[in-house]
Amino acid sequence: MKFLLSFVLLGALGLVHGQLDRSIMPQPAPAPQIQIKPTETWTTANGITVILSENHKLPKVSFDLTLGSGATMEGEKAGLSELAGSLVMSGTSNRSKDQLDKEIDFLGASLSASASNVYLSVLTKHLDQGLSLMADVTKNASFPEDEFKRIADQLRSGMVSLKSEASGMAGNATVKVNFPKHPYGEVMTFTTLDAITLSDVKEFYRSHYTPQGAYLVIVGDINRAQAEKMINTYFGTWQGPKPIITEYKDPVKSNGNQVYFVNKPGAVQSVIQVSFPIPMRMGNQDQLAMSVLNDVFGGSGFGTRLMQNLREDKAFTYGCYSGLNNQDLGGWISISGNFRNAVTDSAIQEIISELNRLLNETITTPELELTKAVKNGSFARSLERPQTIARFAYNISKYKFPEDYYRNYLQRLESIDAAELSRVAKTYIKPNNYNIVVVGNESVLEKIKAFDSDGKVTKLDEFGDVKLDRTPADMGVNDVLEKYVLAMTQSTTLAQAQKKIGKVKNVLQKASLSSDKIPFPLKSFDLYTSTGVRAERIEFNGTVAQNKYYDGMTGFEKNMQTGKTPFDDNKMKAAKLEKALIPEMDWMKTENATVVSMMGIEQENKKEYYVIRVSTDPQNESLHYYEKGTFLKWKTVKTVVNKEESFNAITEYSDYRAVKGLMFPYQSVLNAGSMTFTQKIDEILVNGKVNVAEFQ
Amino acid sequence: MKYWLAGFSALVGFFPVYAQNKINYIEYDLPNGIHVILHEEHATPIVAVSVLYHVGSKNENPTRTGFAHFFEHLLFEGSQNIERGEYSKLVEKNGGTLNANTSQDRTYYYEILPSNQLELGLWLESERMLHAKVENVGIETQRSVVKEEKRQRVDNQPYASFISEMFQRAFPKHPYRWVPIGSMEHLDAAQEKDYVQFYQDFYVPANATLSIAGDIPLEQTKKWIELYFGSIPSGQAINLYRNQLALSDDAFKTKYGVAKTEVNTKNPKLGTNKAGNELYAKLSATPTVIPRTTKDNDPLKQTIEDTIYDNIQLPAVFMGYKIPDQKHPDAYALEFMNEILSGGNSSRINKNLVEKQQIATYASSFNYGLEDGGMNIFLALAKDQASMGSLKSAFDAQIEAIKNELITEEEYQSVLNKFEKQVIEANSSVAGIAESLADNHVYFGSAARVNQMLDLYRKVTRADIQRVAKTYLNNNARVILYYLPKEK
Repeated sequence: MKFLLSFVLLGALGLVHGQLDRSIMPQPAPAPQIQIKPTETWTTANGITVILSENHKLPKVSFDLTLGSGATMEGEKAGLSELAGSLVMSGTSNRSKDQLDKEIDFLGASLSASASNVYLSVLTKHLDQGLSLMADVTKNASFPEDEFKRIADQLRSGMVSLKSEASGMAGNATVKVNFPKHPYGEVMTFTTLDAITLSDVKEFYRSHYTPQGAYLVIVGDINRAQAEKMINTYFGTWQGPKPIITEYKDPVKSNGNQVYFVNKPGAVQSVIQVSFPIPMRMGNQDQLAMSVLNDVFGGSGFGTRLMQNLREDKAFTYGCYSGLNNQDLGGWISISGNFRNAVTDSAIQEIISELNRLLNETITTPELELTKAVKNGSFARSLERPQTIARFAYNISKYKFPEDYYRNYLQRLESIDAAELSRVAKTYIKPNNYNIVVVGNESVLEKIKAFDSDGKVTKLDEFGDVKLDRTPADMGVNDVLEKYVLAMTQSTTLAQAQKKIGKVKNVLQKASLSSDKIPFPLKSFDLYTSTGVRAERIEFNGTVAQNKYYDGMTGFEKNMQTGKTPFDDNKMKAAKLEKALIPEMDWMKTENATVVSMMGIEQENKKEYYVIRVSTDPQNESLHYYEKGTFLKWKTVKTVVNKEESFNAITEYSDYRAVKGLMFPYQSVLNAGSMTFTQKIDEILVNGKVNVAEFQ
Repeated sequence: MKYWLAGFSALVGFFPVYAQNKINYIEYDLPNGIHVILHEEHATPIVAVSVLYHVGSKNENPTRTGFAHFFEHLLFEGSQNIERGEYSKLVEKNGGTLNANTSQDRTYYYEILPSNQLELGLWLESERMLHAKVENVGIETQRSVVKEEKRQRVDNQPYASFISEMFQRAFPKHPYRWVPIGSMEHLDAAQEKDYVQFYQDFYVPANATLSIAGDIPLEQTKKWIELYFGSIPSGQAINLYRNQLALSDDAFKTKYGVAKTEVNTKNPKLGTNKAGNELYAKLSATPTVIPRTTKDNDPLKQTIEDTIYDNIQLPAVFMGYKIPDQKHPDAYALEFMNEILSGGNSSRINKNLVEKQQIATYASSFNYGLEDGGMNIFLALAKDQASMGSLKSAFDAQIEAIKNELITEEEYQSVLNKFEKQVIEANSSVAGIAESLADNHVYFGSAARVNQMLDLYRKVTRADIQRVAKTYLNNNARVILYYLPKEK
C-alpha cells in the first residue's frame, strides 16, 4: 500500500510540468537550527583578555586589539586621541614609515591603528611576519616630527572644509549639546589642534597603549595552542600602566525643547537633527527592546514611520532616519534628515509628533511582526561572518551581557511585545525635551524659533561652540574709521593723512593670484589714480581674462565669456564708495552716514574686532572687521542676495607692509562659496607710469 | 534596486578578484536555455538565490538609454501572482534580504534567505522571469524613484559623473558612451510598449543564469528548479505566453493568426487545438535572438582634454587610457600594473603624490574592464593649493617610470601576495560565491575560472607589466579631465 502510494505521487510529479500552481506561494521547510559556534576566552599574565573564534574555512586570521582605556575629556587639547591614533602607524623605533608600509603590503596584509585599537588581517602562512609588525606598532611607535606635522596639516584641511559640510556641522552641534562636560561632547577646533604637541601625543601612546585591560579578539584559521604561543611570543613581554577609566555621569536633559542653529549661507536645504541623551549604555537590559522600537520608528528601510510620513506621504525629503546609539559612556537617539528650506519647520513638527506618537499609541501588530522578522533574518545572516561570533563573545565579556544572550537572542526578540515597547518608550523618551539642531540658511531662523521652549534660538559655529553675539562698541563709526586711516597712512592726525594721500597720483599693484581650483597661474593688476579711476584687470598667460573699470562717470565689467556689462545704478553707487585710495576716508563723510553703520564688537579666534557695515542697497551688504588695538582691517564679508539664494565672499588681509609711507596688505585670501583665491603682491608702484587704457 | 555606481567608495575594493580555495559546484542547462550553477555548503543555514540576465546598458537603444537599469527597478513591482509592492516584503517577512544591480553588461538580481526558504526564492525569481508586471502604473512610480536615485547618487555625489565623462570621450561610437543610469528624458519619452518590448527581447530563459549557493539539499534543489524554471516556455513561446496575458483577443489574433483560446501556453501538452499546438511548437523552437554588441578595442587617436565643473570642494584630475576588454589576456598584467602603482600605502602613487610631494589628498589608479573594452583610469584629488598641472606631471612621471624600467622582484612578489589574500577572501560569503560563479560563466565562458585566478596572475611576468604599460599608457592618446568646483 505504501509502495503504491509513493508510485502514484511519483507519477504525479512527472506530470507536474506546467501544472505547477504558481499562484500559491511555497511554504518554508522546517526552520534550520541556528547555531553559534563556541568561542574561547582567557586572560594572559600581563592582563590581556583573549577571545578566540576558530574558523578554518579560509586560511587567514585576524587579530583585533582593543585597548582598555575609556574615553576621557581632553579639554583644551580636544582632538589629541584622534591625532595620536592617526600617528601610530607613522613608523616605529625599528622601521621607518616607508619600511612599515612596504612590509605590510609585501604580506598582502592589512594593518591599521587608532587611538584605542590595532587591527591585523593576514594569511595563516604569514602569521609570524604579520604579528611582528603588529607588535612593533603596538609597542614601539616612534612618532616622527614630520609625520606629526603632515597629519596635523591634514586635520586642519579637514576643518577648513567643515564650513561647507552641513552634516558634519550638525554632528558637531548634536554631540556638544547632548554631552556637556563629557568626552562625547568634545570637538577638535583649530585652537585645540594647535595646542597639541608631539610630546602630548607620545604621552598619550605611553599611557593608553598598555596590555592591562586590553581585549585581543582572534578570528580564523588558528587553534588555541597556536594562539597562546603567538601571543606569548609577540605580546608576552609587553608591559604598561593601568588603563585610564574615568567615570562620567549620563547627561540629564530637563530644559525642554532647545533649538540650535548653525548658519550655512546659501543653503537650499536644512539639515535637521532632533536628538536627546538616554541613560542606556552598551549592555543595558532594555537595549534590544529599544532597538526594536527604533527600527519601527526610523531604523532603516522605507517602511518605517519616519519614512512613511516624511518621504512617502509628504515628500519633504529623500530620507529621514533615527539612530540609536549605545556606547560605553552614554547613549543617545538622533533623528536626522535633509529638508528643503520651505518645509524646515513642518518637518520638525512632524518629527516631534512622531516621537510623541511613540508615547501615546501602541505599536501595531503588523509593524512589530515585520520588524522582528527583519531583525531575525539579519541576525541569522550575520552569523556567516566569524567576526560576528567573536563580537558576541566580546560583548558578553566586556559589557556583561548575560552568558546566554546571543544563544537566546531570537527567543528574546520573539518575546518582545507592544506593551514592552510602550514601557521602554515611556522610560527613555521624555515628551518635548529634545535638542533640535538646524544647519541651514538664515531665512529659516524665524520659523524655527517657535519650537524652542523659551523662544530663544542658540547660534553655534561649525564646531558646535556657542557663537557670541556682538557686544556694543565703545567707539563711534567715525572714530574707528579714523584710527584705521591713521594706521594705514602711518599718520598721527587726519590732516597729515590727507596730505600724504594727496601726494599720491597713482598706485599700481601687481600681484599673483593662485587658486586650488584653477590649473593656470593668474596675474592681477589693481589701479588707483587721483583723477578718480579705480580699475582691476586679471590676466592669464598674458591674455586679459576679465576687467573692471570705474571713473566716476562710467563703470563696467568685462570678461572673456560674456563681454562688457555696464554697471547698473546700484553698482555705480557701490563703486563710488570704493573709489578712494583708502575708501574709509569717504565713508567718514556725512553724506554717507546712512549707508555706513557700527554693528558692534565681535570675537573671533580670541581677538576682538569692530564690525562696520556698508550697505548701499538691500541686495548688497558688506561687513568690515577692524582689529581692536592695531585698527588694521582683518576681513571683509560681502553678501549678495540673488532671488532666494544669498552668496558670501570673504576676503582676509594679512602681511601688511609699508610702501612710501602707506600700508598695504601683501596677502589677501578670497573665499567665495567653494572657491579660494590667494593673492600675493609682487610689486606696488606709486606714482609710476600707468596706462589707463589697458584697463578699459 | 540600486544602480551599480562606481563612485569613490566603490573604487577602494575595485578589483574583481576571485577565489582560490576550491569552490565546488555543479552546472547544467535546462532545455529552455537557462544555465544553472549550484554550490552547496552547510556552514551557515542561509542560501543565496540569484539570476543574472545578460543585458546591460550597452544593449540599449541609443534613444532609450537607462532601460536596463530601469528594468531592474520595474522587476520589483510585482508579477502575475505577486501584488504590487509585495515582492520585497515577502522576502523581508521571511527573514531574507534582496537587491539587484545593473552594469553596462548585465543585470543581477538576488535574495539571501534562511535556507528553509529556498523554494520561496525560486518561486520569486521564476515569477520575475515568466510574467513580471510591465505596466504603466509601475513604470510611473519607478520613473520618479529612478530620478531621485540619480539626484542622490550621481548629481549630488562629488565626481560621480567621471565614468560618464570618461567613457563618452573614449567610446564615441560604442554604447559604453552612456552609463547605466541613462537619460531621464529617454525614460520620460518611453511608452509602455517600449518597456514590454525590452522585457520580451532580453528577459528570456536563454539569456539567464540561475546561480545558487549555500545550505541547499542538492537533489531537492534540482527538482524545484525543474518545477519552477524548467516549466518556463522556451524560445519565442515565452512571449506567446506573455502576449496571451497582455494582449486583447483581437491584437493576439492579428499577431499570431490564431485566437487566444486556441493556444494552451500554460500547459501546452494539454492543448487541444491543432493550429494552436503547432504555433506553440513552432515558437518553442524559434530562439529569441539577443542583439549583441561588438568589442571596441580601438585605440584613441589623440589626447582629449576638458574641464568639468561639478559640486565639489577639491579640484581633481582624472586621466583615462583605453585598454582591451576584460577577457583579453593583457587584463591580468594591467591589474598587476595598477597594484604596483596604487595598491596599498607603499604603492608608488600614494608614496609620491600623497605622502612625499603632498599634492594630493587621495590618488589612485585602477583598470575598469568591461565585456567590450575598458579604461585604465588615474585620479587624484588636489591638496591645498596644488595645481592641476602638478598632479598631471606627477602621474606622468610614474607612468614613464613603469614604462621604462622593470618593476623590482620585491614589488612583483608583494603584489602576488596581495592577490593571493584577495582571492582567498573573495569567497567568504555565499552571496559572493553565487555572483562570482555567474559572472565567470557569462563573461569568461567558464565558471571554473573562479578556481584558476591565482594561476592566471602567476602567469604574468615583470616584462608583461612593462609591455602593457608601454602598449596602453600612450600619453598622446588619452582623456584628461580637470574637475573644478562649480561657482555658486
